[in-house]
Amino acid sequence: MSAIVTLSGVIKEYPLGNLVVRALHGVDLTIERGEFTVIAGPSGSGKTTLLNLVGCVDVPTQGSVVVDGQATERLDDRKLTELRLRRIGFIFQSFNLVNVLDVRQNVEFPLLLQGGLTHGERTARVDAIIDSVGLSNYRHHRPNELSGGQRQRVAIARALVTRPAIVLADEPTANLDSVTGDTIIQLMKDLNASHQTTFIFSTHDHRVMEQARRIVRIADGRIASSEAPVEAHA
Amino acid sequence: MGANLRLVVLLALRNVAAHRVKSAIVGSILFFGTFLVVSGRALIQSIEHAMETSITSSLAGHLQVYAKDAKDPLALFGGGGFGSSDIGEIPDAGANLAPIAALDNVKAIVPMGITNATVFSGNELDGVLSELRDAVGRGDTVAREAGAARVRAIVDSLGKGLLATASQATDRARAEEDRAALTRVMEPAFWEEFNADPLPALDFLDARVAPLAADGRLLYLRTIGTDLQRFGQSFDRFYMVDGEPIPPGKRGYLFSKRTYERIVKNKVARELDAVREEVREKGKTIAGETLLKERVARMARQFQRVTFQLSPEEARTLETRLATELGETGPLDTLVQRFLTVDDANLERRYAFFYDVIAPMIQLYDVPVGSVVTLRAFTKSGFVRSINVKVYGTYEFKGLEESDLSSASNLTDMITFRELYGKMTAEQKEELAAIAASVGVADVSRDDAEAALFGGGTAEVAVPEPSPASPTEEVRATLAANGAPDGVAATDALIASAGPRIDERTYSEDEIRSGLALNAAIILEDPARLDETRAAIEARIAQDGLNLQVVNWQQAAGLLGQFILVIRAVLTVAIAIIFLVAMVIINNSMVMATMDRVGEIGTMRAIGAHRRWVVGVFLLETLLLGVIAGGAGAAAGVGLVQWLGHHGLPAASDALVVLFAGPRLYPAWAATDVLFGLVVVTLVGLASTLYPAVLASRIQPVVAMQGKE
Repeated sequence: MSAIVTLSGVIKEYPLGNLVVRALHGVDLTIERGEFTVIAGPSGSGKTTLLNLVGCVDVPTQGSVVVDGQATERLDDRKLTELRLRRIGFIFQSFNLVNVLDVRQNVEFPLLLQGGLTHGERTARVDAIIDSVGLSNYRHHRPNELSGGQRQRVAIARALVTRPAIVLADEPTANLDSVTGDTIIQLMKDLNASHQTTFIFSTHDHRVMEQARRIVRIADGRIASSEAPVEAHA
Repeated sequence: MGANLRLVVLLALRNVAAHRVKSAIVGSILFFGTFLVVSGRALIQSIEHAMETSITSSLAGHLQVYAKDAKDPLALFGGGGFGSSDIGEIPDAGANLAPIAALDNVKAIVPMGITNATVFSGNELDGVLSELRDAVGRGDTVAREAGAARVRAIVDSLGKGLLATASQATDRARAEEDRAALTRVMEPAFWEEFNADPLPALDFLDARVAPLAADGRLLYLRTIGTDLQRFGQSFDRFYMVDGEPIPPGKRGYLFSKRTYERIVKNKVARELDAVREEVREKGKTIAGETLLKERVARMARQFQRVTFQLSPEEARTLETRLATELGETGPLDTLVQRFLTVDDANLERRYAFFYDVIAPMIQLYDVPVGSVVTLRAFTKSGFVRSINVKVYGTYEFKGLEESDLSSASNLTDMITFRELYGKMTAEQKEELAAIAASVGVADVSRDDAEAALFGGGTAEVAVPEPSPASPTEEVRATLAANGAPDGVAATDALIASAGPRIDERTYSEDEIRSGLALNAAIILEDPARLDETRAAIEARIAQDGLNLQVVNWQQAAGLLGQFILVIRAVLTVAIAIIFLVAMVIINNSMVMATMDRVGEIGTMRAIGAHRRWVVGVFLLETLLLGVIAGGAGAAAGVGLVQWLGHHGLPAASDALVVLFAGPRLYPAWAATDVLFGLVVVTLVGLASTLYPAVLASRIQPVVAMQGKE
């Protein structure tokens, strides 16, 4: 297995009014391809910052973040956008679907941004992924006609439809009840197994942590512990 | 790419539908913007077209040439004061204009000269007296009896009125003289004298009684002398209304129909026309408008303009008919006054009665078609020149009958113009020389007149007038010079019995064309190539070293031509201000909408949408709104113009009547108006969306991770 994400000596600072807040104090972390990793920690520990850096929506103040072989601190906005578009899938805490588009269109959206596929190829791929998240009967519903779990399924489908190298999920179960949350996690685990896609989560939900193969604990902007992958105990 | 575009369009459409408030604000601004631009532009174009047509098809042509060394700019429809502008001269129009006439796209070139002539329209008594004098001169006893009877009737009516008011007059001595004169002519003894020897009696009537009747008028007639043959051929809207065209090579005068109706017509008829126009065209009522009511009262007081013209027999007929019409009896004067005091209910009926019954009995126009009119004008050298010409008829320009611009000028021939202007024909110069020779005086030029008169020893010298007097005065001069036995009194009698003399000669085309002109109208084959042809003409003028300059019709029209530019500028500025405000509002509401969509845009950016893609979505949204709302606005604008084109836009003021080339404007729209409106509105919309779009594209993908929806 090779590393898909490598962070070395990463420092991230944010301006907050006149102050500069340091969210990450020199983080070193390697994530291998196909991992199902949880980044755990309390609020304000820096886990979202870490995820932002891995997701290429932000760049480090110091240190290096290499995603799929590319050092993000050296890329401009256009190249970062390309990297996100082609290599990364996002699942957000509050789903972040485009409300004016229906389920199909939401899922198709990143494919259309990518371009390159024919109409037939796109349709086949979109329908297959919608089937696999179990929403075949909701293709033409708008997000506001769906439940929270259904919306998160749409988001998962949207994240996976481009066949990304990494899927980032920021507290994916935070807005869901426990039963739905479990189902969603199970779905992601299944997809991880079947597609060999790397999954990286942030969460402070213990039940989610239990499902993970590796848990990276973060506190006060530093890696507190990084448990090695636990072989299939689920 | 195609699928991506479809997505953007879909997103844009959905967003337009989803953000109703923003779409409603931006949409209605774009709607009204397009509506204004489309209808405003169509109106301006229509006004411009109406003005252009009424200027180019009447006098101006497409281009005008005049002397390069002119002191004032050419103002065909009058510039500042009355006849004060000096636009120079084109000495030999034939030779000077020929090179221009030969150029490509020049259809015709019509030489012209502008002058202001005055005509004295005598009062009613003057007219009757001059007819009576004619009858006496011809020895026509029947006409003489009839004429005398009319004079007596007028004097009788005039006398009663004047004798009644004489006691209140301030100038008692004068009033006493007037009373004496009237009393004298009201006595049968005066008419016995007349029968025995008419001329002294006529002189007395002319000198002492005629001035007591209502004043005659001095008509100011803007007159354009031109090559009438070529004028008629070149201005294809030109046509004769009354009378006949002036025969080729003959001298004569044509009134513009509108001038004829509005200035030359009998005062009562004119007033009646005006009252009816106010009621019919402007929708006023006599009962509701104090000014109109006063106008009617004034018209009724002018009754003598009708009654003085009636023969005793006509007077009796009219009295009977009016008694029946009005259902009351009384003296004719009272009946006519009652009749003329029209109200809203009987206006139409009385108008018809006036033209059916009264008009045939009176001389409806102070200068009738077929009569000879004496034109007076100040010549270049500053003295007054009088010329008798025959009035052949009235003319009009087809489709421009209501345009004050097109009908501003009356027409005469080039020869008459040159005389009014102060230029002598070769023939006149010879005649003058002959007169000078016949009285045996030495010719002294103006320059050395002083030396000749005061320095030399010659006894008899004559300073030649720069121009001879009118034909009548010439006769007098010639007779006097030849030592006519009975002197001036006999001469007057001779002139009176002979009637006004007119020049009946037929002039050759060469004589008409080769002499002086002040300006010339150039008519083009293809008006669209105006600028190009103008440049060609300018080049030709420079090449041949001609003392000419060329201006387009707008410049030639003087102040009026500039008026349309002013309106256009005002509209442009108004629209610019409206759009400036619109841009601010659109910009604001788009920025607000962007704030609402930060999460959505952040998500799209995180998923992999590029910045320019975000800008594209925003611009496309406005573009779609522009097409939808702008399309609706353009349709509404076209609808309004269409409606106005059918019903006409009434000219609320006299200035608008000039601009509209009539009392109503019938605007038309063109596809270019719609296109222009849509393009302008879309550009304004896009320009005002640019900032919010860039703002949106700067939203960081990080915001998508920040949770809350």
